[in-house]
Amino acid sequence: MMRVLLALWDTFTNPLFYKLTLTATTPLLFAALGGVFSEITGVVNIALEGIMLLGAFFSVVVTYYTGNVWLGFLSVIPIGVGFVWFHAWASIKWRGNQVVSGSALILIAQGLTGFLMEPIFGQPGQTPYVGRIPEVTVPGLSKIPFLGEAIGTQSPIVYLAFALVLFAWVLIYKTPLGLRMRAVGENPEAADTLGVNVFAIRYFGVLMSGALAAMGGAFLSIGEVGNFRELMTGGRGFIALAAMILGNWNPIGALLACLLFGMSEALANQLQSSPLLHVPATAKPLFNLFPFIVTLVVVAGLVGKTRPPAADGIPYEKEE
Amino acid sequence: MRRLSIALVLLVSVLLMGFKVVMVTDVGGLGDKSFNDGTWAGIQRAVKELNIEAKVIQSYEQSDYIPNLSKAAEEADLVFAVGFMMTDALFRVARQYPKTLFVGIDITPPKGQTFPNVLTFTFKEQECAFLVGYLAAAMTKTGTVGFVGGIPIPPVERFRYGFEAGVKTYNTLYRKNVKVLRGYTQDFEDPKKGKDLAMSQFNQGADIVFHASGACGNGVIEAARERFSALTKSSNLVDFINYYLENNRGFFAIGVDMDQDYMAPGAVLASAMKRVDTASYLAVTWAYEGTFKGGHMVLGIAEAGVGISPMKYTKGIVPNRVIAELVYLEKLMKEGTLKVPETQEELDAFKVPTIRFPF
Repeated sequence: MMRVLLALWDTFTNPLFYKLTLTATTPLLFAALGGVFSEITGVVNIALEGIMLLGAFFSVVVTYYTGNVWLGFLSVIPIGVGFVWFHAWASIKWRGNQVVSGSALILIAQGLTGFLMEPIFGQPGQTPYVGRIPEVTVPGLSKIPFLGEAIGTQSPIVYLAFALVLFAWVLIYKTPLGLRMRAVGENPEAADTLGVNVFAIRYFGVLMSGALAAMGGAFLSIGEVGNFRELMTGGRGFIALAAMILGNWNPIGALLACLLFGMSEALANQLQSSPLLHVPATAKPLFNLFPFIVTLVVVAGLVGKTRPPAADGIPYEKEE
Repeated sequence: MRRLSIALVLLVSVLLMGFKVVMVTDVGGLGDKSFNDGTWAGIQRAVKELNIEAKVIQSYEQSDYIPNLSKAAEEADLVFAVGFMMTDALFRVARQYPKTLFVGIDITPPKGQTFPNVLTFTFKEQECAFLVGYLAAAMTKTGTVGFVGGIPIPPVERFRYGFEAGVKTYNTLYRKNVKVLRGYTQDFEDPKKGKDLAMSQFNQGADIVFHASGACGNGVIEAARERFSALTKSSNLVDFINYYLENNRGFFAIGVDMDQDYMAPGAVLASAMKRVDTASYLAVTWAYEGTFKGGHMVLGIAEAGVGISPMKYTKGIVPNRVIAELVYLEKLMKEGTLKVPETQEELDAFKVPTIRFPF
């Protein structure tokens, strides 16, 4: 028991643990924010996983051809928007079942990235290393003891993700556009009566989710490891969905939930490698369950009932 | 007579031209820079020499193994099943297609059963891992090294047993206390997981991390490059080496299965190589020549089935004494005087033998 406490102490006093937490949080955060944008206007978007995968892939492809990692990163915004447009079109214009359309997008993304590997890179499986976005050091911040080590040197994408949380919160809760988005998600009929263009607002929400989730995927590939591997998103899109729900469809809530997931993942890594704990190697895989146990405990016990937007997932039919 | 000879020539050429090899990958797939690629490289070598036909079927999920193997068995003379996780599928399909020859890489046949049409290979991963473990222990400046495993299946675990035994041997011979940190990603496909786990080992004082985690390893190698370039402010080989020689510290990954040193020159210290290409090349040649025999083969250092990479980029920073010791340890393993543990029990009971280096 003493050793467990020591190992925990060791972990929580290590500034690099917080750095690791942030890099584990970032891809989830992008996707969860995307989910918030989409669902707050009333369109369920379970395709986040697929959009992330596509973003991870195309950021590497563009970098491969242009040699510019930033171009690779930014190019996924139109790609994510274009891809998720299919979902928007099917579920807003044609009032299709949003879960079905979202699942279709996931399957398309998996198939498409797998298929394009061979013609573009000449091999299935994984791409060669194409370079990655270098870390930046924030002058001043990095000089502060502890804090500087924890957050002073990071991938610029990590800072971007946190800035986007603020942006999303201001947009949704402090601007007329945000008010309309929420209105459309709660009661589209009423919003329509008041002259809000329900379809346009919903398109906006869904397309934003495409841009954000694609950036999350790009962070995984050229932000972190510098190559693409088939199915490398490993279910993070679904974890992001859970984070969005846990965060009660609110950007700040989603941030906290993503931090919780990111931290439990970092903690699992840190503890299972800890020299202080004498865990037999055969029991180590139990640590990998840790994030999921945390999720269960938090969802079941600590968080009160979350409430989705009232019209979430319900297609809007304009009355003539 | 003439007609007969023409028919005979035709028949023979049809038999020769028609020889077809199909390789079914496991979920790791081609491009894993690991045993799928290695097996394929060996097949390719045989294809060039023998002028035969070969193709790959990629598996995306474990449930693909049986349909893919069956499909392969119907069209091919020789089928490769690559990876421990295909064990059950291989033997189930091999029973249904007794006329097709099968090769299993990293696969052990079920106890007490023999299949005349199945040849399986496993490797003494522990032997090459022993060498990189010894190297890591000799090179660490922090007194801590790390191990990142994928899913703890037997081949991955054998890498760990060997690695730990190598570290222990160095500790005993030089009265050091180099510690080993261990962790598993529970995955072979998610490079970010590998990177995060390697980072958390670097955070806890390790400066050299050995991975046996398939494609997660790309992330492990990237973690070493990121940490090392944070020191040098560049990621050039020359800067890495200069920094190491001037400051006597750095961050390294150790690659696995194939020679992965090139993946981040200077930040990959060495690779524990498993010559799956040798195994697949031999198997194709035997099947083609008709000398194929079912059974099980274990390839170790003595059979050139495993080994340490030539350290193309990093040899200059490894002291000559260490290089010489590695060569001598390799020789002891070949002679059979040094037996590296291949199970957890053997590792726990492992007593470092008295080794006197003749120099």
